[in-house]
Amino acid sequence: MTMSDWSKVTRPVPVPNEWTKPFWDAAKQGVLALQRCQACKHFQHPPYATCVNCISTDLRFEPVAGHGAIYAYTIMYHTGDKRFAAAVPYASIIVELDDAPGALLAANLLEAPYTEAKVGRRVEVMFEKLNEEITLPQFRLARTEVGA
Amino acid sequence: MWENRCKIAVSGVGYSQATRSAETPLAAHALHAVKAAVEDSGLQMPDIDGLATYPELPATGHATVDGISIVSVNCMMAMLKLPNLTWHIQTGSVNIGGAVQQATNALLAGVCKYAVVWRAMHNPRGTYQNLPGAQATGPLQFTAPYGFGGPGQFHAVAYARWLERHNQQREKMATLTVTQRKHGLKNPHAFFKVPLTREDYLNSRMVAHPLCLYDCDIPVQGAVAIVLTTADRARDLKPRPAYLAGYGQRLHFEVAGRIPSLSNYMEGGRSSAQLTWSRSGFTPKDVDVAQIYDGFSSSVIYGLESYGFCKEGEALDFIQGGRIELDGDLPLNTFGGSLSTGRIHGLWHIIEGVLQASGRAGERQVKDVNVSFVGASAPIVEGTTFIFVKEPY
Repeated sequence: MTMSDWSKVTRPVPVPNEWTKPFWDAAKQGVLALQRCQACKHFQHPPYATCVNCISTDLRFEPVAGHGAIYAYTIMYHTGDKRFAAAVPYASIIVELDDAPGALLAANLLEAPYTEAKVGRRVEVMFEKLNEEITLPQFRLARTEVGA
Repeated sequence: MWENRCKIAVSGVGYSQATRSAETPLAAHALHAVKAAVEDSGLQMPDIDGLATYPELPATGHATVDGISIVSVNCMMAMLKLPNLTWHIQTGSVNIGGAVQQATNALLAGVCKYAVVWRAMHNPRGTYQNLPGAQATGPLQFTAPYGFGGPGQFHAVAYARWLERHNQQREKMATLTVTQRKHGLKNPHAFFKVPLTREDYLNSRMVAHPLCLYDCDIPVQGAVAIVLTTADRARDLKPRPAYLAGYGQRLHFEVAGRIPSLSNYMEGGRSSAQLTWSRSGFTPKDVDVAQIYDGFSSSVIYGLESYGFCKEGEALDFIQGGRIELDGDLPLNTFGGSLSTGRIHGLWHIIEGVLQASGRAGERQVKDVNVSFVGASAPIVEGTTFIFVKEPY
């Protein structure tokens, strides 16, 4: 069995700040929204004070479709953090979204054996509720092809 | 070419005996290394009038206590009470290579005559990288909830992308780790004293795939130091000097919290190396021996490729066939690298670059060295690059 057991993992809970609150507000509604530069239309993540592309400060959050590909990944075996030890080995992945090239998101590959994590695999967003305030965007292997 | 090439030289070098645990306070390690470097130069402590370090403790989630977990410039000044001190600095970017470059600039400016640079590294008790507690704040809010902890995992994701993008195999890395350990056994100051076999490497446990145990350096408690001075003064000192032909620093960084992409690491290494090649007038083909930062083995790949020693995607093939042996075309990490000395960051790489250029590397000396290249920390982290030469030009 190569499925990671996430049932006993207690994840650190994100603390939104003035830059990141809109991201978490959207995630709570089941929407993936990223910061977008209104001057050059570049998407970026994590949120920042300036556009990493053109240095504009006119930035707003806009929804993205949540389809993308695994940019990179690692299979974690080390149990240094005891909270994650029960899930070892597990796949931590970096996703590049079709709508937001260059804006890399960290996630876990859920609902699939960790061995399915490969560079270039198609993935789609899903949501994991941590508590009443915080819902984590996560990813699973793509079930629907873009445009299908 | 740089008008100041070969005007500054490294003279003495010094080490403390690195240990796995922090039995002796870090300040004592740093003091030992500094004294040894001054003695190696043939100088007396009152001759030292410049001090520089980069003191950061890379282990996260541990208290920073001066003298215990870091050794700041203030700490060193308080211990040494140098009567003739005229200049000091503690750098905050581009790691220890930045401190060496600042000392170089101070010597060129004439504000000091003999500068000591040290790097002291603490190994705290317990887990080296402590993740945040129940809450993840700042940039960690986008990574820690997914189990991304210390730097190892971010090195692992970059390495996985490199391997799959270039259709390469991690098993080829055995050559690097086994060869470096062989070099390290000829370094009396190395932490590891036993050979590493190909089988050891291939059978070792995974830490964060594709990085296994032997791809990671081991945290230690220890310190190393060097003495820099002007070329004319260096010629009057005890050891043969290694002349600084050129240096560079990484010019590409990401904003805080952004997950660095493989291409960004490569741009970082390229920018630092380009400055070094153009200032020194050398090219990768001129290099006789190279030290490339290896806190994680995969960093050597990005170094070899972004500095221009081989093409992108080819580093794991480039290191095969005896090329990186002491008698190969490009002897590499000839002191054993961080994988043999333990985690002392890039000043050890600079020391070895100096020893090879000045013909003082003992049993591991590469024959007929003139051009000695150093990538003092990986482009993946905070890169600086240096070239030392035997013959000023």
